Amino acid sequence: MLTSFFKALANLFKTPKTIDYPLTPIAKDEKYRGVIEYNQDECIYCLKCEKACPPGAILFVPVDNPPINEKNKKGLKYHYNPHLCIYCSECVRACPKPQEALWQSNKKGHIGIKDDKINDDWFELEELKK
Amino acid sequence: MKKTINIPIGSQHIALLEPVRFKFECENEKIVGVDSDVGFVHRGIEKACTTKFKYDAIGYVVARVCGLCAITHSMTYTASIEKLIGGEITQKAKYLRILLLELDRIHSHMLCLSHTCENAGFEAMFMRIMGDREDIMEIQELITGNRVQFDYISIGGVNRDIDAALAKKILSKLELVRQKVLGYMDEFTNNWSLSLKFKGVGILTLDDAYRFNAIGPLARASGVQADVRNEIDYLPYNEIGFKMQKHTEGDINARNLIRLNELLNSIEMCNNILEGLPEGEIFTKLRGKPNGESVVRFEAPRGELMYYVKANGSAMLERVRIKTPTFSSIPAFSHIFTGANYADAPAILASFDPCLSCTAK
Amino acid sequence: MMKKIETSIDTLKKDIKEFYDYKKWHFLTLNGVALEDDMLEIQWIFSEYEVKNKIVVYYAHIKYDELIPSIVEIIPSAIISQREIVDMFGVEVEGSQKGLYLDEDSQQKPLSGCSI
Ligand code: SF4
Ligand code: SF4
Repeated sequence: MLTSFFKALANLFKTPKTIDYPLTPIAKDEKYRGVIEYNQDECIYCLKCEKACPPGAILFVPVDNPPINEKNKKGLKYHYNPHLCIYCSECVRACPKPQEALWQSNKKGHIGIKDDKINDDWFELEELKK
Repeated sequence: MKKTINIPIGSQHIALLEPVRFKFECENEKIVGVDSDVGFVHRGIEKACTTKFKYDAIGYVVARVCGLCAITHSMTYTASIEKLIGGEITQKAKYLRILLLELDRIHSHMLCLSHTCENAGFEAMFMRIMGDREDIMEIQELITGNRVQFDYISIGGVNRDIDAALAKKILSKLELVRQKVLGYMDEFTNNWSLSLKFKGVGILTLDDAYRFNAIGPLARASGVQADVRNEIDYLPYNEIGFKMQKHTEGDINARNLIRLNELLNSIEMCNNILEGLPEGEIFTKLRGKPNGESVVRFEAPRGELMYYVKANGSAMLERVRIKTPTFSSIPAFSHIFTGANYADAPAILASFDPCLSCTAK
Repeated sequence: MMKKIETSIDTLKKDIKEFYDYKKWHFLTLNGVALEDDMLEIQWIFSEYEVKNKIVVYYAHIKYDELIPSIVEIIPSAIISQREIVDMFGVEVEGSQKGLYLDEDSQQKPLSGCSI
């Protein structure tokens, strides 16, 4: 009884466990998993990342004005869907030039609740792929 | 005239966190019959594994069966594929796998303990345990980069390494948690509001535990020596100080104590791993396609998890069967409910630590 | 080690009764695997307590329209796996109703080889 009374009293003066979120930012480690970033000048268009991705969040589709790169023989363009990505980093492991052409950042993906046609645009790309 | 009345609990109910519906047939206060419906969150993952994904991606698919024991699911699946391909992974990768599995067990047991407290009406304890659990979540986030879906284990090893600075940080956090767990031990054995609600309630006898094939903490609280960690040899559990926990009472209190003792044992194992982590590669590339059948079992926080995989040498598997812990405990659950008081039902249910997302897969 | 023992639906009850000692063997689950030619393999999987890697699988090859005998009187906890098999493969098991996972209006027998 007495111990619990003292404990309760001591608890009054403890700092809370929670943080004041928008004012105090959440601590972020360098190694946290975030969106995949890509550099089209370094890419050799081997499409290994596309094959390795479990949910199919990376697509290379033929477009009319593809990025200029001598390796890009078929006129493909890289597309990435952060809403589909599970941040597993399999694509980076599959890539022959990791950290140069493709790497994982620790940035948070863009939140897509208010975008319109967020899925339809991606479905169109998937159609093009077929 | 009919003597009994039917009282449902769930699928949406204030005392129940999981999408399950029980229909209790009650005679006055006593439950005399139970009927359960568990299929509310069925997602057809077994089907998806054989039609939509190649074998090397399924490790990430099955991790989505359950958020709490995601790592055990990917571990068990990966182990069965490694068995079929016939590759060996490095010793260091094995130790890192155990480290994550045990951290997962720690945070899952803490969640369960906090819910039992909440269901006994002890909100403050619930908050305390949940707050302390945050330390474990942080460790996991530092190691894997993710808070819940770790995606840490892949076929051939693990995805990320631990450096010395990180190991030191983890060790100090684990020591903090260990002190807290010793504090809970005291609370769970001596506090009146907990023992009144828990002692002698929801008993499963030893004989019934065998007959209903109880697993995990539920079985060990009744005195069955069933821990899959003791019955496998593809992870070196014996080397790092695994001890089987056992009680004989079989009531809710015994289940809580089993979980608390397992917490301490898991923390000790994590310490041993971090102190004696061997040098070496964390990933070996395995060549070849899986062929044949394999059954692999593993101890998830809630009990035994089993995967049956059948492959035919191509990238698509023929069959993936997932047997989750809660699923095979349902007969034992129903047996315990029969004869208990209706008012105890939420507390008993929380002590099983059911995971319906696993069950319905 | 996984040991596979063949049985048939006629001898199943006898075989399991002789084999199953409830303090020694742990019943894991019932499993179905769709085979070619509209056949189905049903497996009853057991493991031994406190022994490393010992798994015994009883299996029987059946057609989809055959009635599978129930082993509930020998192993009470088999009931839940039997109900799952009924839903997933559209077979009939003695004394097990449909509707553990699937509702009336969902796609039926998703895992059987001949549904889609
Ligand atoms: S991180 Fe994983 S899901 Fe995301 S793009 Fe890479 S492979 Fe695909
Ligand atoms: S794997 Fe790397 S180099 Fe190959 S296409 Fe993808 S980003 Fe480019």
